[in-house]
Amino acid sequence: MSDAILSADVGVVGAGPGGMAAAKELARAGLRVVVLDEGMRAGGQIFRQLPVGVTAAGDHAEPPSHDAGHELLHDFAAADVELVSGATVWDAAPGRLWFEHDGRSRLLECHHIVLAPGAYDRCVPFPGWTLPGVMTAGALQVMVRGFGVVPGRRALVVGSGPLLLPTVTSLLSAGVEVVAALEASSRWRALRAAPAIVGNAARRREATFYAKALWRSGVRLQWGRTVFACEGDGRVQRAIVGKVDASGRPRRGTERTIEVDVVGAGFGLVPSVELGVLLGAETRHDAARGGHCVVVDDQQRTATKSVFAVGEICGVGGAEVARAEGELAAAAILAETRGAPVPDARSRAAMRERRASDAMLRAFAPLPGLVELARPDTIVCRCEDVRLLAAQQAAQLHGDSHRAIKMGCRAGMGPCQARICGPSLQALATGDGARAMDRPIVQVPLKPVRAATIEQAPGRGATT
Amino acid sequence: MSGRVPMHGERELVQFSFEGQEVTAWAGDSIAMALWAEGSQALRNSSRDGEPRGVLCNMGICYECLVVVDGVTMRACTTPVKAGMQVARGGRR
Repeated sequence: MSDAILSADVGVVGAGPGGMAAAKELARAGLRVVVLDEGMRAGGQIFRQLPVGVTAAGDHAEPPSHDAGHELLHDFAAADVELVSGATVWDAAPGRLWFEHDGRSRLLECHHIVLAPGAYDRCVPFPGWTLPGVMTAGALQVMVRGFGVVPGRRALVVGSGPLLLPTVTSLLSAGVEVVAALEASSRWRALRAAPAIVGNAARRREATFYAKALWRSGVRLQWGRTVFACEGDGRVQRAIVGKVDASGRPRRGTERTIEVDVVGAGFGLVPSVELGVLLGAETRHDAARGGHCVVVDDQQRTATKSVFAVGEICGVGGAEVARAEGELAAAAILAETRGAPVPDARSRAAMRERRASDAMLRAFAPLPGLVELARPDTIVCRCEDVRLLAAQQAAQLHGDSHRAIKMGCRAGMGPCQARICGPSLQALATGDGARAMDRPIVQVPLKPVRAATIEQAPGRGATT
Repeated sequence: MSGRVPMHGERELVQFSFEGQEVTAWAGDSIAMALWAEGSQALRNSSRDGEPRGVLCNMGICYECLVVVDGVTMRACTTPVKAGMQVARGGRR
């Protein structure tokens, strides 16, 4: 049982850009840092690395932001940090993080916690979205960039927001034909992001890279269109696509059918706030930032003492925001433990990156009309096979709070704990696409773990 | 229909079974990605209707890819392949 309990000055959850940035800064200053990460290698979703031993062989250029990613990965690897990969954190209290790792129940005890759990794809249900081969844009990226696996022959990319572009370029780099790339927002709505991109040098370089890459490939982003349905026998074989109006409502009668064998849907990201909520952090709802976000002060402190939060958990913002906030949180922890003042440059960098990303994301806030893609028999909760009609009836009978709908039809009661259906469940059940979800209900275990992990959890006897 | 992106470097081959069939994977693959590369996309039968389900998020969030690995239910997307493991489709039998 000796290594069942780890101890550190700082425990970091997540080895994406925010967690890596915080960890390497803290380790450089001599603090003992343990990073718990659910992935197989450091990098998070944005800087996914191929498995140990291989590198990509193609001559496909990477976006300029990945230079910063490589630098961060290098600094993180060089820092004296203990990384626990494949760790699922399932319970937490200030100074304590319980996790399952390689089938074992373990505990990390630490003075400070930095939460950098990232975000996950927002899902918009449509008929046929449960067919194998229909997945999130993030899943496609992981497949290509994290494992070097070819997703299929003919791909459809749909959704809304800046992440569609890297999804298309990843598919192209894997030799996949991108049959169509459909952005649900209108060109005019998306243009509102332009000032934020033009005014920020790094974002300008990034946008230029993708514009050129798409132009060379011949794939043209089609605006104001999305997927209406997917069909196939046991896996996706066809997609029905069509036009949507300015609010995202499908314009029936504009459909056409295309043959595809893989579909990537990226309708934005949802901050992974569960650990923050469990630890008592305040949250607020910000539609442009992806939903409920953990509230932090100007040095990334949550309302809970010694618990910091950085990156997407404070609202979707991207790698540059996460990195700057991670470095700021590290400086703030060093200020608390060592009395070193927080450098102004750190605060300014975090604020500047956050402002730039907020300005861009406002142009891609979720489109309310997309809830009309779902039909009465469309599955909304995939874990429990709950269809839209059942969720609507539950809302009518029991009330339209998240809890009431859940009790009425079991939506959100499965193993994903409403991470997939939750963000759109109340909007779907009420028919009001602009309806925000209630604050997420979190319960322990935060993710399904083995019963033995809970029974044998170390360090719970006297203190819990 | 799927397969691998050209890569530099080498990895060990790992043999495991899925639904009784031998599968050859590479060390460092997740179960889900090893199966995808070999053309198996349906990993789970849904809880009520028994519909085929596969990879949705590929990052450990959605639990759509639950499989049974040597008797224990695991996420295929976050579980690395190991030589000799016996993997079966998850969910309703």
